[in-house]
Amino acid sequence: MKHEAVFFTAEEILKRGKAGIPDELLSGKNLVYSSPATLAYNSPGAEGFGVKRAGLSVPESVMLIVAPGCCGRNTSLISSMPEYKNRFFYLEMSEPDLVTGRHLNKIPDAIKEVLAFLKDNGKKVPKVVMICITCVDALLGTDMDRVCRKAEDALTGGEYEGIKVRPCYMYALTREGRRPPMVHVRQTIYSLLEPMEKDPRSVNIIGGFAPLENTELITYLKSAGIRNIRQISTCKTFEEFLDMARANFNIVIDPEARAAAEDMNKNLNIPYIELTRVYSTDKISSQYKALASVAGIDIIDSEEKAEADEAVNKLKAAYPDLTFNIGECTNANAFELALSLVRMGFKVDEIYATLAPENFVYVKNLALLSPDTKIFCNMEPTMLYYKISSSKAQVTIGKDAKFYCPDIPNIAWNQDTRPFGYQGVRDLMNKVFEALKEAEA
Amino acid sequence: MKGLRKVLTPFAPDQSGASGVLYSMGALIVIIDAGGCTGNVCGFDEPRWHDTRSAVFSAGLRDMDAILGRDELLASKIKSACERIDTAFVAVVGTPVPATIGTDYKALKRLIENKIDIPVVPVISNGMKLYNEGEKEAYKALIDEFADETPAVAKDQIVLGMTPLTYGKEHIDITLDDIKNIRGAKTLIAASSSGIDACEYLGRDFEIVSPVYKDNIPEGITGKTLVCHDEVVGKTLRDAGVDCDIVTFFKLHDAVKKDGDRKITEEDEFIAMVRDGGYDTIAADICLKDLVPDYKGNWVDLKCFAISGRT
Repeated sequence: MKHEAVFFTAEEILKRGKAGIPDELLSGKNLVYSSPATLAYNSPGAEGFGVKRAGLSVPESVMLIVAPGCCGRNTSLISSMPEYKNRFFYLEMSEPDLVTGRHLNKIPDAIKEVLAFLKDNGKKVPKVVMICITCVDALLGTDMDRVCRKAEDALTGGEYEGIKVRPCYMYALTREGRRPPMVHVRQTIYSLLEPMEKDPRSVNIIGGFAPLENTELITYLKSAGIRNIRQISTCKTFEEFLDMARANFNIVIDPEARAAAEDMNKNLNIPYIELTRVYSTDKISSQYKALASVAGIDIIDSEEKAEADEAVNKLKAAYPDLTFNIGECTNANAFELALSLVRMGFKVDEIYATLAPENFVYVKNLALLSPDTKIFCNMEPTMLYYKISSSKAQVTIGKDAKFYCPDIPNIAWNQDTRPFGYQGVRDLMNKVFEALKEAEA
Repeated sequence: MKGLRKVLTPFAPDQSGASGVLYSMGALIVIIDAGGCTGNVCGFDEPRWHDTRSAVFSAGLRDMDAILGRDELLASKIKSACERIDTAFVAVVGTPVPATIGTDYKALKRLIENKIDIPVVPVISNGMKLYNEGEKEAYKALIDEFADETPAVAKDQIVLGMTPLTYGKEHIDITLDDIKNIRGAKTLIAASSSGIDACEYLGRDFEIVSPVYKDNIPEGITGKTLVCHDEVVGKTLRDAGVDCDIVTFFKLHDAVKKDGDRKITEEDEFIAMVRDGGYDTIAADICLKDLVPDYKGNWVDLKCFAISGRT
C-alpha cells in the first residue's frame, strides 16, 4: 500500500479530456473523506450559510427543525451567535414517527407552542416560520407544501393569523440533484415576495446571505441613478424584505440563485442579469461592460481596475516566485482562482477541489500554462495520507488548504461577506501580502 | 409538547456515540449517510477529529442510492477504499437514512465481507436515539466480533464508557487489543451508562465509578444537590458523599437508581425538578441554566459534551 494521497496533474487531466476525468476527482464515485471542505458542503446545515442560516436570512423569521435529533445537533454552533438566539426550535422525530409519519400532524401545535413561548417571554412574534426537514422526509416523500399550508390554516382565526409557514429542505441526499438544498432554499425565500408596483430605480442583488461590502458594483449602480439597492441581508424588517418585489431587475451573484431569479422573473416580472465572481481583472472588466450594456447604464471602471492591478503588481514585486496551494473552502472557484493567479505570473503547486465537469475549461487552460499543478480531490479517501512535506507552496488560500498545510501562511478567505469584482482581487492580494509579511516578521 | 425543544439544542445522537467508541480503534469507519451526519460527527461531536486524523468516511449516498437500495455500490466504494487505506476492520454506522429504507445490516456485512478480507462490524444506530445507545451498540458489536473467549493476555483493568461525549478532554480511549482481551481483564470499570450496558453484556462483575469524579467533588457543591449528567457521574459523586438526586436525559440503570433519581426526556421535566426539588445546588452543564433562569441557588458547571458540545 502506497500511503499517498492520489493526485493528477493539470496536464494529465487535459490529456484524458473532459469525458475522462478520473473517478478519484469526481463526486459520487468514492467514500467521502472528512475534510473541512467536505464537512461544509456535504452537510447543508453544517457551517457557513447552509440551509438553516439561509432560511433565517428572512427578517423576522424563526425556524422549526422537524427531524431526528442528529440533524439539529450541530445547530448549537449557530444558535450561540447572538443574531440566532430564540430563532431555532426543534421537534425531534422518534422511531414511531418514522413509521407513522405522525410528526407531521404535530407541526401546527408545535408552531403555536413556539409562538406562545416567544410571546410569553417577551420576545418578538415572528412574521415567518420556516419548517426545516431533512433526509428522512425526503425518503418518505412528505408533501411539505401541504403540511405548511395546513399549519398556516391552523393559525387562521387566532392571535397568530397571517404568520407565514414555509418549508426548508435540508436534503443532503439531493445535493447533486436538479434542485439541491441551497438552490431550493433560495427559491423558498424569494417565494415569499408578492407582486408590487415597480420602481425603475430599484435593483436587487441576490445570491448571497451576507451583504456585498465595499464592492465597486454598488458604487456603479448608485452612479447610474439606482436609488434602492436591496440585498436580503441588509433588510432589517420583513416589510423591507417584501420591498424587494419592487425591483426593476435582479443581479444574480451566485448560480445557486438562478432558479429563484427565474421564479421571480415569471411570478413578479423581474428580469435578471448574472454576474460571476472571478479573479481575473480582464474578465471582471468584460462583465461590467456586459452589465452596462444590458442595464443601459454607464460603468467607468478604469480606476478600480487599476487599483486591483496595482495590488497584484505590489505582491508580484515583493514575491516574484510566489507559489500557492488553493482549496475550495473559500470565496472563489478554486480552479478559476488558480488559473487567474497563474495568469498574473504566480505559481500554483496544488489545488484541493472536486473537479466538476463545468470546471474542466479552467483546468484545460491551466494545463497550458502550469502543466505540473497537482489536483487533489477533497473527497477522495486517500487524502487521509496527504503529506505537506512534498508541497513547494509558500502560502495557501482556503480553510481546507490550511487543514492540509498547517505550517504555511494561510488566508482562509471564507468570510460570510462576499468579496466581489475588483474589490475581491485587491483585498485578496493585500491579504496575501500581509500574511507573508507577518510570517517573515 | 413531547419532543419539542424550545431552549436546548438536541443532544449527541447514537451515531456520534458509536463513532466515538470506534474512533481510536484503527477502523475504517463508514457512516451510511449523505454527508450531513458525518459532518455532524467530525465537525461537532468528535473533538479528537481536530487533532488526529482518523479514517471516518461518509458513504456519500444520493437520493437514488437510497431509493434503489444500492448496497452493492456502497460495498464497491468500501472495497475501493480498503485497497488504498490500511485498516484493521471496517465499521459501518447507521443513520436515519438506512433506518428509513430498512437496511439489513447483517446482509450488508456479508455483502461487504465477500469483497474484502477484513472483518466488517455493523453498528445499528438511527440518529433518533441518544449517544449512550450508540456507544452501547458499538461495544456490543465489537465484543461480538473480536472478544476472545479465552484471551492470551490478562489485562489488569479496562475502562468502558469513558468517551469524549461524556468526559470531553478527560476521555480514555480503548483499543482493539482491549476488546480482544476484555473477557480476561482482572477489573472492568463502567465509567458511564454505556459502560454499564457493555459490562452487563459481557456478563462479568464490574465496578460502576467515574475515574474523573472518584473522591473528587467539584468545588462549590454544597447542601442538597441535583446532579444532571451521566448516571455514573451522579453515582460517583453520591458515593463520594454528595447529598444528591440524579437526573439524566440518557439512561438510568437499576444498579444506580435510588429514590428521588429520575430519567427525563423533556425540557419541562428538568424545569419541574429544579422548581419543585428545593435544591441548594444544581450540578449540571451551564447550558441547562437557560431552562431555569429564575433559579436562585448555587450552580456548579458540570460540563457534559453530549449536552452542550463543550469540552
